Amino acid sequence: MMRARWLFVLLWILLGPVCIGPAWAHHVIGRPSYSLNEDSNTPPSMEVETQVGDYYVTYMVFPAFPRPGAPGRVNFYATRIRDGKPFQGKVTFWVRDAGWLHWHRRPPEKLGVQTPEDGVYRQLFQFSEKGDYLLRAEFEADGQPYQIDFPLRIGNPAPVGPIGIAVGAVMLILVSVSVIQRRRLVRLKAQRQRLESGT
Amino acid sequence: MVAPGSEDRPRQGRRPFRAQLNKLRWLVLSLVFLMLLALPFLAVYQSYVAAHAYDLMSPSEQHFYDFMAWLTGPITDNPEQDFNLVKGTTWSGTLFGLRLSDPLAVLSQIAAEHRVFTAFLLTGLIPLVATLLLGRIYCGWICPATFLYELNDNFAVVLRRLGIRLPHRRLDTRFKYLVLLVGLVLSAATGAVVTAAIYPPAIIGREIYYAVAAGGFGSGAAFFLVTLLFDLLVARRGFCRYLCPGGALYSLLGRYRLVRIQRVVGDCNDCAKCNAVCEFGLDPMRDGFGQECNNCSACIAVCPTDALVFRLTPRDQAPQGPGHLGREYKRSQALQSGEAGEGGRTEAA
Repeated sequence: MMRARWLFVLLWILLGPVCIGPAWAHHVIGRPSYSLNEDSNTPPSMEVETQVGDYYVTYMVFPAFPRPGAPGRVNFYATRIRDGKPFQGKVTFWVRDAGWLHWHRRPPEKLGVQTPEDGVYRQLFQFSEKGDYLLRAEFEADGQPYQIDFPLRIGNPAPVGPIGIAVGAVMLILVSVSVIQRRRLVRLKAQRQRLESGT
Repeated sequence: MVAPGSEDRPRQGRRPFRAQLNKLRWLVLSLVFLMLLALPFLAVYQSYVAAHAYDLMSPSEQHFYDFMAWLTGPITDNPEQDFNLVKGTTWSGTLFGLRLSDPLAVLSQIAAEHRVFTAFLLTGLIPLVATLLLGRIYCGWICPATFLYELNDNFAVVLRRLGIRLPHRRLDTRFKYLVLLVGLVLSAATGAVVTAAIYPPAIIGREIYYAVAAGGFGSGAAFFLVTLLFDLLVARRGFCRYLCPGGALYSLLGRYRLVRIQRVVGDCNDCAKCNAVCEFGLDPMRDGFGQECNNCSACIAVCPTDALVFRLTPRDQAPQGPGHLGREYKRSQALQSGEAGEGGRTEAA
């Protein structure tokens, strides 16, 4: 009974952080995150600059903390590396699930086709469910297809991800085995030593 | 080799204090680990208090705030200031105002920056002196990875009992010195502290912070899980023995440590329990400690005749032969006395 109680206390202490979940920074430049929208003058939730083929691509996602049920926006820029000229064609935006439960994914959905305004492609979005998504910007230039994927998180991340579950499970197993078997461990190690040394 | 019928000298009364040190060590390891778990929560709570924005928090944040206020209320009424006393991780941090850094952190910073920050260098001084005196004591008594690696080894023992045979490859312990060297060279070449990316105690401290304050574990947690698997499936305590750059540095620094475990051959019965529990695969029963010993005292705790003691000396003893309470020694003594008797009779004849 005592052993079970101690085991419970130990497990609570070790797994507590996993169960409680993350604590979140809730202000962006002095403003609480709940008041931010896609037009807020805040940093983007994500800003990526990358080089794809002949183009230099930049994309940003607003607001800083996209939430389910609230509008958000992707700003997308593409300039040709050779001459710095902005891409002027059409860009199609797609979205699909990117959660780690692959079997739960739904088919990709087209968000829209955008033309540039002052060299910027603006794609609005509004997600009804929180989760991990993958956005894809797709265009064709000089006869070459371009597809640029970038992740998008809607809402707070799940308190326990796959690595968190793995870490929690490992801790649970290691601690409980050591506590339950602690009286036998020296004898078992001696047996192991004897077997390995062949005597 | 464990002698099943080896004779134990019956213990008289209570065991000496040194035999309890292993329990104290587990207490210290557990406290350090719990501290690493608690500090990120305290830091987040501290930032909430400093923001003075309780009304703007989400309900979950308010619950967290209330819980932490209840938990820390008896300790402090000024968390914003008082929690600055304990900060950071075992890689580098502040403990009640005393700034401490892992010597590997200091060395790696020097390598990466190509210059010495005296203030940072001084933070490594106490751990350095402790290592020069006590050897790899950080590995055995403080390292949060050791806490998990030893639990992992216990798990391996239980798996073996269940019939799952796990391999145990013996590699060259000198390999970790190469890892240390390569880590420092890469740090110097890239300007980044590369060693921190593969050093388990640094990874653990960092990942717990990520998990609490940033919402999830990073790639370091996956790397650490791989090291646990390496220990389980390739070589027992393999990462510490063969790969750890910090372990390599501590082994070098502790080569001529002053405090050493030594065997009292007159009290030893050759039962080999010390060898069985040694996490680093050393050979205490034959006086084989060397620079790898981390003075964890597990061998002292398990010794049935209290034949292992701490001594102040910069060198290990030369092999002293079989323990005087063991069968081998007694047999050889009997043989010698028999020969002496034969010789005496021959001379008399």
